[in-house]
Order: sequence, then structure tokens, then C-alpha cells
Amino acid sequence: MRSKKPALVFAFQNVTDALAVEKFCQAESLPGRIIPIPREITAGCGLAWKAEPEDRNRLVSALDSAGLCYSGAHIVNL
Amino acid sequence: MITVNAMGDACPIPVVKTKKAIDALTADETVEVLVDNETAVENVSKAARSMGYEVANETLGDKQYKVTVKVLKGAASAAEDSGSCECDCGKKNVVVVIGTNKMGTGNDELGQALIKSFVYALTQQDELPSSVLLYNGGVNLSCEGSPVLEDLQKLVAEGVSVMSCGTCLNFCGLTEKLSVGEVTNMYEIIARQMKADVVIKP
Repeated sequence: MRSKKPALVFAFQNVTDALAVEKFCQAESLPGRIIPIPREITAGCGLAWKAEPEDRNRLVSALDSAGLCYSGAHIVNL
Repeated sequence: MITVNAMGDACPIPVVKTKKAIDALTADETVEVLVDNETAVENVSKAARSMGYEVANETLGDKQYKVTVKVLKGAASAAEDSGSCECDCGKKNVVVVIGTNKMGTGNDELGQALIKSFVYALTQQDELPSSVLLYNGGVNLSCEGSPVLEDLQKLVAEGVSVMSCGTCLNFCGLTEKLSVGEVTNMYEIIARQMKADVVIKP
């Protein structure tokens, strides 16, 4: 079995929000990547933004101050 | 003597690793393959024999087996096998074929996000494909600047063959930019799909 470790996963109401976050994070050199939403998270659209748990504060404040929408920031074992 | 550690690897990875090690040899050599189950012993032995080499097996301990392959380059048979799993372990030989750097048609931005999502999800499977074949726009994924390079590297590290079409790399001016896996040709692209139980095309 593959070994799993905790990851920070942002869920979104819709795909447009997810793609906007991807564009923003790439432009600002913020960490993370697009992934399909893990099965563990039942809410949200099909795409999610995955980063390391320790990036949480940095990402949350960057997304909030840029006015970007997400529906939740979860820690999931992936 | 070369040692291939395939302990803990799921079928058909031990066979794939063994073949890779043998293919990489330029002179006669003995290859030791360490595996943790008897099915893998059978599969590795069968694969090495089908390549025309002498094989010996040894039980080292609980869930520890060694397959010794005497590779004599002159003895190699023309038999080619692409790492298919011919055992009855119930695991399928899965080949993934990616012919574009976008998934689906409709919206390109969405298509690019989906293909990233797809390759990432591949790395998360408990049973991995034996090969990922990339052609046409798909070769962008294995070249410098690709958003899924790390994922493809991870697959290669797990024993998956990631192969990019050489004609396509050449046509797209990407030959020098290939950053993961190996270059392949149309014969291999067909041979691997012919031997597959399942071909997945996103």
C-alpha cells in the first residue's frame, strides 16, 4: 500500500474558483497544485488545491486578501 | 553482480524492474532479483527464461526470495515482452495512453487542469499501470516546463515505464527537452497496448 501523509486541501464551490486560485498562486509563486478533490472531502467541486499543511496560514491570508473564494481548507491524509 | 530490489512491489513491477536491469546491461552479468512472494518468483523467472537466460531460485527466509538470472548477452532470444503480468494474481496489465496535453474537448483551460488532475490521481493508485505512453500533444507532459513532471517522475520511480513518441518530440522541437522517461517508437506503442488487459485513454 502507498504511504499517506497529511496534506492541506482547499475545496471550492465551482471549478472557476479553483482555476482562479491556480492562476493566482502560480503568478504569486505560492505553493500548491491542482488535484482532483479527494474522496474524503464530499463538499465542493471536482478540483481542489493541494499544499503542505504548514503552508496554511500563508495561503489563507494570500487568498483572503486577494478576495479569492474557497469553500474550505481541510487537512487530509493523501 | 547486479541486485534488483523488488521487495514489496506489486505485480508486474518486479518483472518490469528485472527487464529494465537486464536491458541496461552491455556485457554478461548476473542479476539477482529480491522479491517477497512466490508469484513474483514465478513471474520474474518466466520473464527471464522467455528472454533466453538461465534462472535459479532460492528461498532466503520468510517472504524473502531471490531469483538469480545469468545474463549472457549472446543467449538473448528475440522474444520481446513488455512487462505484462502473465500470472493469475488477478492484477491487470494496465497501459495509459495520453495523446494530448488537455483532457477532453470543450474548454482548453479546463482540459489542462483536468489532465494535471488525471496524472496526479494516477500516482495515487494502489495498483499502477505498467506503462504511460505519450504521443502528439501528450509529449508536452514529459518535457521541460510540464506541470506534471514530478508526478511522472514518481511513476518512473515506482517502476512504471513512461515513454514519449520520438517522432512527436522531433516534430514539436522537444527532443532536447525530454525530462522524464524514455523515447519510444510506434512499434512499441502498439506492442504495449496489444499486451495490455486494459488501455486507459483520458
